[in-house]
Amino acid sequence: MSFEPNILGFLCNWCSYAGADLAGVSRVQYPPNIRVIRVMCSGRVDPVFVIEALATGLDGVIVMGCHLGDCHYIDGNYEEKMKLDLLSKALQLIGLSGRFRLEWVSASEGVRFGQVVSEFTKQIKNEGPSPFSGSKPNQKLKEDLEAIKRTLSDNRLRTLVGRERAITEFGNVYEETIEFEEYEKKIDDALNSEFLRNKILIKLEKEPLSVKDLSKSLSIESSLILEHIVSLKARNLIDFNRIDGITPYYHALKVAL
Amino acid sequence: MEDIRIGVFICHCGTNIGGFLDVPSLVDYTKTLPNVTFATDNLYTCSEVGLSLIKEKIEEYDLNRIVVASCTPRTHEPLFRSTCQEAGLNPYLFEMVNIRDQCSWVHMKETEAATEKAKILIEMGVAKALLLQPLEKFKIDINPTALIIGGGIAGMTAALNLANQEFKVILIEKEPELGGLLRYLYKLYPTHDDASKVLEVRNLVENHQKIKVITSTEPVKIEGFIGNYKVSVKRRDGIYDIETGIIIVATGAQVLKPEGLFGYNGSTIITQLELEQLLKENKINVKNIVMIQCVGARNEERRYCSNICCMTALKNAILIKELNPDANINIIFRDIQTQGTTYEEYYRKAREKGITFIRYIPEKLPIVKESNIEVYNDYLNQDISIPYDMIVLSTPLIANPDSVDLAKMLKVPLEENHFFLEAHVKLRPVDFATDGIYVCGSAHWPADIPEAISQAYAAASRASTIISKDVLEVEGAIAEVDEDLCVGCGICIKICPYNAISMDDNGIAHVTEASCKGCGLCGATCPEKAITNHHFTTKQILAQILASGGK
Amino acid sequence: MGENSNSVLVIGGGIAGIQASLDLAERGIKVELVEKKPCIGGRMAQLDKTFPTNDCSICILAPKLAECYRHPNITLHTLAEVKEITGKAGNFKAKLLQHPRYIKAEECINCGICIEKCPMRVDDEFDVFLRKRRAIYIYFLQGVPSVMAIDPEKCLYLTKDACRICEKVCEKEAIDFEQKDSEVNLNVKSIIVATGYEPFDPSPLVNLGYKHLPNVVTGLEFERMICASGPLKGHLIRSSDRKEPKKLAFINCVGSRDMKYNPYCSSVCCMYTTKEAMVAYEHDNSIQSFIFYIDLRAGGKGFREYIERGQKDYGIKYIKGKVAKIIEDDDKNPIIIYEDMNTSKVKKFPVDLVILATSMIPNKDTPELANILGIDLDKNNFFLSNAYLPLDSSKKGIYICGCCRGPMDIPNSVIDASGAAAKAAENAIREG
Repeated sequence: MSFEPNILGFLCNWCSYAGADLAGVSRVQYPPNIRVIRVMCSGRVDPVFVIEALATGLDGVIVMGCHLGDCHYIDGNYEEKMKLDLLSKALQLIGLSGRFRLEWVSASEGVRFGQVVSEFTKQIKNEGPSPFSGSKPNQKLKEDLEAIKRTLSDNRLRTLVGRERAITEFGNVYEETIEFEEYEKKIDDALNSEFLRNKILIKLEKEPLSVKDLSKSLSIESSLILEHIVSLKARNLIDFNRIDGITPYYHALKVAL
Repeated sequence: MEDIRIGVFICHCGTNIGGFLDVPSLVDYTKTLPNVTFATDNLYTCSEVGLSLIKEKIEEYDLNRIVVASCTPRTHEPLFRSTCQEAGLNPYLFEMVNIRDQCSWVHMKETEAATEKAKILIEMGVAKALLLQPLEKFKIDINPTALIIGGGIAGMTAALNLANQEFKVILIEKEPELGGLLRYLYKLYPTHDDASKVLEVRNLVENHQKIKVITSTEPVKIEGFIGNYKVSVKRRDGIYDIETGIIIVATGAQVLKPEGLFGYNGSTIITQLELEQLLKENKINVKNIVMIQCVGARNEERRYCSNICCMTALKNAILIKELNPDANINIIFRDIQTQGTTYEEYYRKAREKGITFIRYIPEKLPIVKESNIEVYNDYLNQDISIPYDMIVLSTPLIANPDSVDLAKMLKVPLEENHFFLEAHVKLRPVDFATDGIYVCGSAHWPADIPEAISQAYAAASRASTIISKDVLEVEGAIAEVDEDLCVGCGICIKICPYNAISMDDNGIAHVTEASCKGCGLCGATCPEKAITNHHFTTKQILAQILASGGK
Repeated sequence: MGENSNSVLVIGGGIAGIQASLDLAERGIKVELVEKKPCIGGRMAQLDKTFPTNDCSICILAPKLAECYRHPNITLHTLAEVKEITGKAGNFKAKLLQHPRYIKAEECINCGICIEKCPMRVDDEFDVFLRKRRAIYIYFLQGVPSVMAIDPEKCLYLTKDACRICEKVCEKEAIDFEQKDSEVNLNVKSIIVATGYEPFDPSPLVNLGYKHLPNVVTGLEFERMICASGPLKGHLIRSSDRKEPKKLAFINCVGSRDMKYNPYCSSVCCMYTTKEAMVAYEHDNSIQSFIFYIDLRAGGKGFREYIERGQKDYGIKYIKGKVAKIIEDDDKNPIIIYEDMNTSKVKKFPVDLVILATSMIPNKDTPELANILGIDLDKNNFFLSNAYLPLDSSKKGIYICGCCRGPMDIPNSVIDASGAAAKAAENAIREG
């Protein structure tokens, strides 16, 4: 029994969903693995949606919007591109970037819609079943995915990517712009550090651990772990648990909801 | 907790769906889904019979959510929403599942897999329906008044048309009198009518019962939203508030003064506008005239072509030739812009009158000397020397310097040359993305009189579609900020393509319902996840995602 | 707006007619929109992309078509023509000839089974005869109303009393051969003419080889060839040998600025040839395009930047030259013979495909319509307008907009249309 992937597609009402309808009217045939969620604009797609989709065991996720410049809501797709570029980077950190794609498909591209879906289905078939589905989901990867989810849900990265176009193209309140590459670098740095911080936090939610434990389990230098421990403590997300000899242990603080 | 009772109607669409998917099994599967009170299939759900069935079952089973699995919502959602409404159900409590255009028609050879897919799609639709909330279309009162900023030909034309349509019109003008650039023109192309004759429209405007003209006045602050703008204007005697339903920007443009170019001196080397003045006063008595096109345009600083300067030069050249048939007029050009039917003919007329045209290339600009001008012509591959008594420089129309401030006040964008930027070049050329504000004339892009007039009528038409309504109904599926979660970072305000979000006095973001288009950008961006995008909420989407997992 | 005949007749369902109708309908005025073809959409529906933003034409047109169809204030009369107009501003009486569709519009669900089974192959007008359709057809896939129509001149039953297969296979019993021509009488306050244009047929310019050289096509044909939903599905190949052309030549001013045919300038060709060259490059970036021009007219908003982008990012070369003749070699590759206006030398330029940017000309039935309406034409047979009343025809209460009054691009057609709506509304209120 060959693997039949379960693929989720987010389609924007004005372009890609219309393109999919045109494919239907033209009887373009494509594999039946894709299930579509309709949104008004691709800009509605929060990167966290893609993470949640992967976490539930879906094998692949594709977001399709209007070609740049054609967005019905003027520049929704530009903003979406910023967010999903960040998502791709985040997924790359945990080796899942092959399960996600962003494509622009217009309302007149029925044939292309079919081609894109066929290609993506093939790509996902090659990736194989989701590491989170089946009877033995990959726990380590699950933790990593959770860390990515928190990273993309938290304020810091959302703020950075939310302001990206405004600051790189239009300028801040002082009418200064920052070079796109420079800004991207800031985002990369923030992504890496928040990801690590969240991984640490997740570990500490499960059981109290020392810096050495964390360093071993995450394969990261102790000095770097310590930096993040300090930061997490300052943010009141963790606290001392106990001291064994000269080794302090930390645990995560339950955040009141 | 409301008892959700979902009714699902699965369509055969003749054999379009029924011939490929196992519809009865879809019905059976649907009945197993949580909160599905009623499920059935029918042949053509969109037919009179099908629609009646929906209404009947809503009543019979006290259904409060409806799902139709058939074709595409892009064509049929409004129909089914109306049907629900007729049965007393809020139209936003309806969800549609596409099992034809995006299922049966595209998986014709894999009917089993397609049926399984349809099951999942229906499950996703039901999962969303469970979380749908009733929404109301917002009703905004509209002030049936139009405020026109700028009293040139465009502003005056729009004012008259709207006033004749019985709307109240307020026309404000920066200068002490109406007329704009038209006051400085001599004759107009291509008819050679006197500009002063066209200017007579001023009398109609000033005497119209429904138009209030306020001169020597400029806007200083603009607040509000479509149907309800409040504009503060500054006059000599103080600041006044004007309440209006819509705003039309008709602030025109300026003629570039080519300081430092081609020896411009304002006496023997002048602009076309200055030439008009001389013609008006009958002070032209020179024999050798050279006109240079594209001065200060189509260059590094200003990449655009100002469109009207070629016809302006032709007009003035023809007028001079008519006054003095012995005059030698040479027009040095790059491309002659005489599009369309009458203008091309006018160009021919100019050539027939003996006006000479010499092409130049930007790499080798003409050189102005004491009494002659040297032009390199690439066709002859040599320099040509032309004696002159007067040089007329055709300069572009450039954006008014106060466009920048006005754009900020209105919260509308400018393009790179500081002309106002419309919502969409093709579909909404005189609308701004911000609802209820329009632009026409040279404020939009260099325009001649006929173009300015057409655009003014267009802006008036667009404006009238709003102010003709007592009440404007606005889409209910819009965004809403949770004030408790908002931290006032302002990112949503910058990101909204329609300027529909603003900061209130407490530093909390607030969505102006009237302007929100429901795109969802704000909700996807908000760092605190404080924004709800109604009808496409995060919870609803997550429910659909979960249902799509299949296994 | 409760008066019993506060309505406006809009003749022509292209982008101009549609825009005027929508503005009036939103304004609360009833619109009778008359369109000759079975669907509204006009020329814009035939375009692939539109300058200066290169966005997909049908994508931006489709929402307007849907709005027009659904708007409670707009009544669509497709397959209808205006036959008689009497009366005056504020009180016109219009007689329409409604041709039969032979389909019950409320029943047809656009499933397409009838098309599959129809045995008659007919040249497809929408695809500029580059492809065949059937005798039962939908004018174009995204057409509104999205309902079939039967071509009475090609249908086997209507011409020869045979076949009737469509009737047998239609599950909704939507075929109705009993439908006949009928008359519709309307009472309107104003009239807007938005009948658009036709592309000039360059066959009389024998030196350019159209119709006898297979690799010389017109701008509109090229548009359909590169369109994703066109006869070649967007994959550009030559009809002579099915090979992909790599060297394209666009010739501007074909049949325009020409004393023998049309002396005027067609306004849009400089821009649309640039656009077509850009789109071709997007499909295949080994394509090199050359545009032969006399004056490069790009004075509209963003147009100059567009041309520069074409040169810089798409490798388009502009050659100032007058094309004298086009011949072909043994492989049917066209060879352009032209006078280079920069060096005044005559040159030979071999290419793979030539696209003639044909001018816009008035529709063939413009003189007849002018007669029916009682309005004047200008010397080029476009509807006559006045410089300072550009949207007024020569008769009070009748307004003209879009290409039927002179060649213009889409932004200007939309502006014109809204403008005409304002005038028609003003007239309706004043004469009401």
